[in-house]
Amino acid sequence: MNKRNWKRVLHGMAGVMVAVGVTYACKDFLDTPTQGTLDEATLATRAGVEGSLIAAYRSLDCSSSSAGSWGCAASNWVWGSVPSGDAYKGSNLGDQQPINSIETYIWSVGDADAYLNQKWSQAYEGVSRANAALRLLAKVRAEKPGEVSDADAAGIRGEALFLRAHYHFEAYRMWGNIPYYREDDTDFRKTNVGVNAVAEILTDLNEAITLLPATPRNLDKGRATSWAAKAYKGRVQVYAQDHAGALTTLREVQTSGVYALETSFDRVWTGFLQYRNGRETILAFQASAKDGEPTGWNSNWGERLNFPHSGSHFGCCGFHQPSFNLVNFYQVDAAGLPLALAGPAWNTPTPDSNFAGGILRPVDPRLDWTVGRDNVPYKDWTLHNRSWIRDASYSGPYSPKKNVHEQAADAEGNAGQGWQNTQTNDVPILIFRYADMLLLLAEAEVEVGVLENARTIVNQIRARAGQVAQGCGSADTVVTNRYPTCAGDTRMAVPLVQNPTLDSLTTPWAVYRIGLYATPWTDQNFARTAVRYERRLELAMEGQRFFDLRRWGGADTVIANYVNTEKNRIPYLTLAAAFTLPKYALYPIPSVQIELSRVGTEDRLVQNPGW
Amino acid sequence: MEKQIIRVLAASGMGLLFALTLFGTALAQETQVSGTVTSTTGEPLPGVAVQVRGTGTRTVTDANGKYSVTAPGDGVLLFALIGYKGAARTIAGRGTIDVALESVVAVLEPVIVTGYMEQRRADITGAVSSVNVEGATQQTSTSVLQRLDGRVPGVTVEAGGSPGSRTTVRIRGVSSFQNNDPLYIVDGTPVQDTYLNWLNPNEIGSIQVLKDASAASIYGSRASNGVVIIETKRGRPGQRQVTLDVRTGVATPFRGLDDILILNSLDYFQVVKTAYQNAGLAVPTNIYGDPNNPSVPAYIWPNNGVNQTGDSLDPSSYSYPNNLIMPGSAGTNWWKAVFGAGQFRDANLAMSGGGEDNTYHVSFNYLDQEGTAAFTRLQRGGARVNTSFKVGRATIGENIAVSRQRNYGGLDDDADREGSIVGKNIFQQPVVPIYDIAGNFASGKAVGLSNLTNPLKIASAGQHNISTNDRIFGSVFANLDAGRALTMSTRFGFNLGQGAFRGFSPTTFENSEVNDITAINENYNLSTEWTWSNTLNYSRTMNQHNLTLLLGQEANQSTNRFEAGSCGNLLNQDVNSRYIQDALCDPATKNVFSTGGTGTLLSFFGKADYNFADRYFLSFTLRRDGSSRLGPTHRWGTFPAIGAGWRLSRESFLARNSLFSNVMLRFGWGVTGNQQIPAGRIVAQFGGDRGDTFYDIGGTGTTIQPGFKTTAIGNPDLKWEENRSVNVGLDLEFLDGRGTFSADVYRRNTNNLLFDPRTPATAGSASPPIVNIGQMRNNGIDFSIGYRGSFGATTLWSVNFNGSHYKNKIVRIDGVSTSFIGPIALREQNPVINRVGYPIGSFYGLAADGFYSDADTAGFSDDGARPGRIKFKDLNGDGNITADDRTVIGSPHPDFTAGLDLAVRHGAWDFTATLFGVFGNQIFDAQKYWYVFRYFDTNVRKDLLANSWTPTNQNAKYPRVDGSDVFSRQFSSYWVEDGSYVRLRTLQVGYSLPPALIRWIPAARVYVQAENLFTITGYSGLDPALPVRAATGAAGDIRDQFRGIDVGSYPSNRTITIGITTTF
Repeated sequence: MNKRNWKRVLHGMAGVMVAVGVTYACKDFLDTPTQGTLDEATLATRAGVEGSLIAAYRSLDCSSSSAGSWGCAASNWVWGSVPSGDAYKGSNLGDQQPINSIETYIWSVGDADAYLNQKWSQAYEGVSRANAALRLLAKVRAEKPGEVSDADAAGIRGEALFLRAHYHFEAYRMWGNIPYYREDDTDFRKTNVGVNAVAEILTDLNEAITLLPATPRNLDKGRATSWAAKAYKGRVQVYAQDHAGALTTLREVQTSGVYALETSFDRVWTGFLQYRNGRETILAFQASAKDGEPTGWNSNWGERLNFPHSGSHFGCCGFHQPSFNLVNFYQVDAAGLPLALAGPAWNTPTPDSNFAGGILRPVDPRLDWTVGRDNVPYKDWTLHNRSWIRDASYSGPYSPKKNVHEQAADAEGNAGQGWQNTQTNDVPILIFRYADMLLLLAEAEVEVGVLENARTIVNQIRARAGQVAQGCGSADTVVTNRYPTCAGDTRMAVPLVQNPTLDSLTTPWAVYRIGLYATPWTDQNFARTAVRYERRLELAMEGQRFFDLRRWGGADTVIANYVNTEKNRIPYLTLAAAFTLPKYALYPIPSVQIELSRVGTEDRLVQNPGW
Repeated sequence: MEKQIIRVLAASGMGLLFALTLFGTALAQETQVSGTVTSTTGEPLPGVAVQVRGTGTRTVTDANGKYSVTAPGDGVLLFALIGYKGAARTIAGRGTIDVALESVVAVLEPVIVTGYMEQRRADITGAVSSVNVEGATQQTSTSVLQRLDGRVPGVTVEAGGSPGSRTTVRIRGVSSFQNNDPLYIVDGTPVQDTYLNWLNPNEIGSIQVLKDASAASIYGSRASNGVVIIETKRGRPGQRQVTLDVRTGVATPFRGLDDILILNSLDYFQVVKTAYQNAGLAVPTNIYGDPNNPSVPAYIWPNNGVNQTGDSLDPSSYSYPNNLIMPGSAGTNWWKAVFGAGQFRDANLAMSGGGEDNTYHVSFNYLDQEGTAAFTRLQRGGARVNTSFKVGRATIGENIAVSRQRNYGGLDDDADREGSIVGKNIFQQPVVPIYDIAGNFASGKAVGLSNLTNPLKIASAGQHNISTNDRIFGSVFANLDAGRALTMSTRFGFNLGQGAFRGFSPTTFENSEVNDITAINENYNLSTEWTWSNTLNYSRTMNQHNLTLLLGQEANQSTNRFEAGSCGNLLNQDVNSRYIQDALCDPATKNVFSTGGTGTLLSFFGKADYNFADRYFLSFTLRRDGSSRLGPTHRWGTFPAIGAGWRLSRESFLARNSLFSNVMLRFGWGVTGNQQIPAGRIVAQFGGDRGDTFYDIGGTGTTIQPGFKTTAIGNPDLKWEENRSVNVGLDLEFLDGRGTFSADVYRRNTNNLLFDPRTPATAGSASPPIVNIGQMRNNGIDFSIGYRGSFGATTLWSVNFNGSHYKNKIVRIDGVSTSFIGPIALREQNPVINRVGYPIGSFYGLAADGFYSDADTAGFSDDGARPGRIKFKDLNGDGNITADDRTVIGSPHPDFTAGLDLAVRHGAWDFTATLFGVFGNQIFDAQKYWYVFRYFDTNVRKDLLANSWTPTNQNAKYPRVDGSDVFSRQFSSYWVEDGSYVRLRTLQVGYSLPPALIRWIPAARVYVQAENLFTITGYSGLDPALPVRAATGAAGDIRDQFRGIDVGSYPSNRTITIGITTTF
């Protein structure tokens, strides 16, 4: 190469290097937009605000981003049902042992702690999403007046406040001493000391009541209304022992006639689309099992363990099994009233090793809508059978039933990934229903109101419960071989013979009998007991009882009695820790959250007494 | 003519090059040439192959190293001997040519590539280690990274035993909560990759590890974790050489779980029985019958759970999937069912050489490695072309590697997931048979048999799960000698990757919890990264002043895109029907998504090296880097470094000593940076997911409305993480250069740690912002000592020992809290804490203190305390055992790691061995969930029952066997064991064949090698050499917060290999 060429190359190369330096030195090269996400501006629209609110509703049940899968269940079965004596963890010894720890009141071990964290995280995720919707709404209203109409703005704010109140109430029921978070909070290590959670919840609910319309926005069945907020307010007042306040609030809801009991008990928990979200529903998680989401996350996710096991159609997993104690509690006397009213004998008779179909002791018909028993039709599936039970020697012969979809309801999931569809459904998970509200009102009537009003409510609920009983359900040979009278009768629900005691002997696997309280109530103690018994019978397996027991006081006695008798049937209950008050009045706050609340050396979250 | 052909071919295609050059011949006058071949230390070398290039003419040296050959007068003689560097000499009409061959055993390259330049080894003032590449080839791992273990002081390497598994390389400890992988520079092109499987280890010419900031800060932006510079082999002018390496071997797991678990069904029943009895529960009779007279049932089937003895069973009633019947097994060895021998094959063909104005190196590789787990396999094929041409004062060239890798079996190295083969499924009970009576896979479909999936079924179902990775990696470059000691270079590097995976999940009707949905998933990814660097180099020597200057600029951009699809409920499960199409699966279940990212870096840098009389050394480096990942006002970082050296041996007071031939003191200080976080985290991100934020507000059951949430909180003030390090080193050479010693003491302080401290749940589920708050410190020492000796003329030996120690300490977290629980939970518990004053990833739990006796529990108020359960210390003294009593219970970081290389050569025989040891680290044995605490009714350790607590055996090894004991299995120091081990990593014996033996092979060496022949450890689990499980958080790779936790990894292989290396 001659010198000239060489210089040309040299200059060329130097030129390229300078050019490169200049080109990339300009700062555009280092500005790379974020990939695959939405930005704040895109969401600052009506659709963005509505979507943020939708996300706040979604936290009612576990989701794909939940910290866990069963501790976050909308039904609270782990927290409200299993430790209450209504149900056992179920399944077998090895599976989901943390729930064993919860069931046996060993709440300070690590695995129970982790479950508590699931619940805590789910509640505050809901709070956080509600607050995000509130912030975005305020921002859009300020920046783009007219983007969201005044009516919608009021509705959206009202719904978000309602949800925020609900999520905080969930935390309050669990832990009592909780921090309260509003949309303008930026410090997420607030203390739980000295917080009047009830007052905060009621502040939000009161504002929601004024903002919300009386009918759901867009006629969406899942949305909160002013009446839902009012009913919820009454619920909170009862929990806070403000019976006088509750009386006013709940009587107003009762009188309004906005809500009503379903015509029959089988239509309360149901997969049939035509019965869902009827006038009894105040707040429910709207499960959707066939929405195209490939894993089934939006279905009854928090409930999906709670089906009969492998011998059954559902295949898995045998959790949340009703207790012997609960089944026995459905026994009635000659008048169709709870046998328990007459003393402790209800829970001692044999044969309680398996109160199966064909044992013709009179029972409340709600038993067979609440509990799967051997030889009794399982809704409109075939007869419940011992082979459906995962390990009967471990946790008894019964299966949960309310959350199970009917065969004819077309409510089963169709996800294409994961596990199996037979235990996913879109049965709405009832978080707060009118019967629950009425019974809370009855409590208030007993405490500060009119005893007879309480009797009216209880009788109203019993009358509805007396409408129908479990029918043959399926025409399959398993049913007809055992019960020939079922041939040709595939009704899932059959009317009970209407007479003053509402009993019936027409069904072959049980004697159903339910009577009204005919005598006026004059004794407050009796009325209190009757209301509380009714609440157990009506709401069993719905995740309420444990919170009820704590509200009523004396949970230590009830639970001690339960464990003392039940441990003779379920041996592992001998290992249950003593349920003592005040320690067990509240669940322990998850240790990881206490640790995360630490500022310097100070824990902003203070553990509940005794833990 | 020949050269032109080569030039044309090399530039265009390369494949035929090899063949053509083989047959090309040169014609000239024949002449007789003779001479002596010696080693560089003067010993005559017998058995050296001497070949006339391009002809079949060849001979070997005699016992005195003498040879004689007839060759063309303008020809070239090639000299080759295994263990020595080959040499080539042009004859140029000479009659006598003496050659000294340089040994490759324990000889350091005199000139090494450090950063955008080459430096003489002796001039380096930073902490730089060179890897003995020859030794590293004696292993069979797919990735070269795994071959670094124990070879470089201060470098730790962890990998699992699966073919092509991920490698975790750490240089001088762990400097950050996340993203601690070193930067690899392959032939001048930077790459961050934890596998590097596309790089054929046989093709590696040299590896340098830049450990301290004064050496690494020239790569400032990404050098915080150290830099590994890998140069592939290049041709040498005048030396054409064709090498064929072929080897094959057999790998077996070095240890099996069948050494640990119960293999007999009735023995296992005794554990079940005791667990029930001690829990106060009735012992199940449905499988084994009468607990006092148990027997293995003829059949197991899902009956009513009362009796499995088979009396009432008609095997002909079997139907799939509704009525499955299994034969009861007297004892299934599930380990043997899944794990066994795997074959290994590796072939490399390389041709290299060059002329006055060109060099070339072309190679091909094929590797086929069966895993020791059934149906797992890795195949790799690759080709490389490295050429360079001189055009006047310019040199242009390229290095390009093309590779395809296929992994079969869907078993990646994170096989520890519970649902995988090596996960908890391998703990299936012994009474469960592998197959049912119809030959279908069996599992626990009966009460009490657990809900595990047959691990062989998982392996079998995954055999068509293929992961394919294609890579084109390399660079084109041009160097220009601008005269007056000025060189300009430009290099454009590229790294193009694409990958595909297809997976299948089967139905499991045989399980207790049935999965009745089949599903397939596929994904594709495409990644592109380019780096353009331009440098100017000036080098001048005036009298005794030596000065080198470097100026440079670099731009880098990387983009990636990932697409995934799935579909469920296949109509036909045949592998040929596994496509995402409406007719082949349920179209309603189709799901698809894609993600991507892009990031850029821009850098300017300069370096000045000066030395006076090879006695005083000074070096300055300054680099400025801009990163698109960081906040606009903080995206530029400055990374300076200073190095200084003093060669004392050149001073008069040492010059005359007879012991030391070199004494060098080194000092270095510098700053390096880290910006390895996901792109786009300077702003808040919003999104949502159908399963998370969408909701059926209308109560339809079928229609969900979109929902949105904040998915990540942004931080516009993100800035560089900075690592400041100080290094003091001493190099010694003694006993005429036969002995070497080198030691470095360092301190590394990382400031502005980039990580995302976990926020309380009250802040919601959005990914917390990444912040720059924390501080971490590593102090340590690395050293190596070596000696080369000889016994007589024919026996040479060498020994090299290296050791390192570091102490990692978290200095500050986020200014608010002094600790945070590790981000990865196991089941419901979390074994790790990061706490100020302790090393990253410390183990966390209760402090175990033996077992409770009756006396203890009497006065103890806690609910879970019972005799025979693990007793925990009530550290806060409140009378209860709660989470508040947890404390730091161990650390995965070793106190000391060491490697020992031994080599002996005697005549044609050579012998090498490498030992590797780790000392003082701890392992959190999470497998105790299964084999001690029998969570999920799994199989357990053989000695569990015999060594468990009973009233008469209170000094037991295990707590009382009690199925209801959820108390003892709380994470505690009981789970922590010493993880120290010493392992014979490789042992190789080779023999160089006398050339006369096989006429057409001029030089050949055969060898036998063994890897992982023995391991000395006190660890009771499967394998103390744990891989680091991959873990990614919202802010990046968080592997280092989950180290040393045994969650069931693919064990190391014991591999026996035979091979032959031939040179033509």
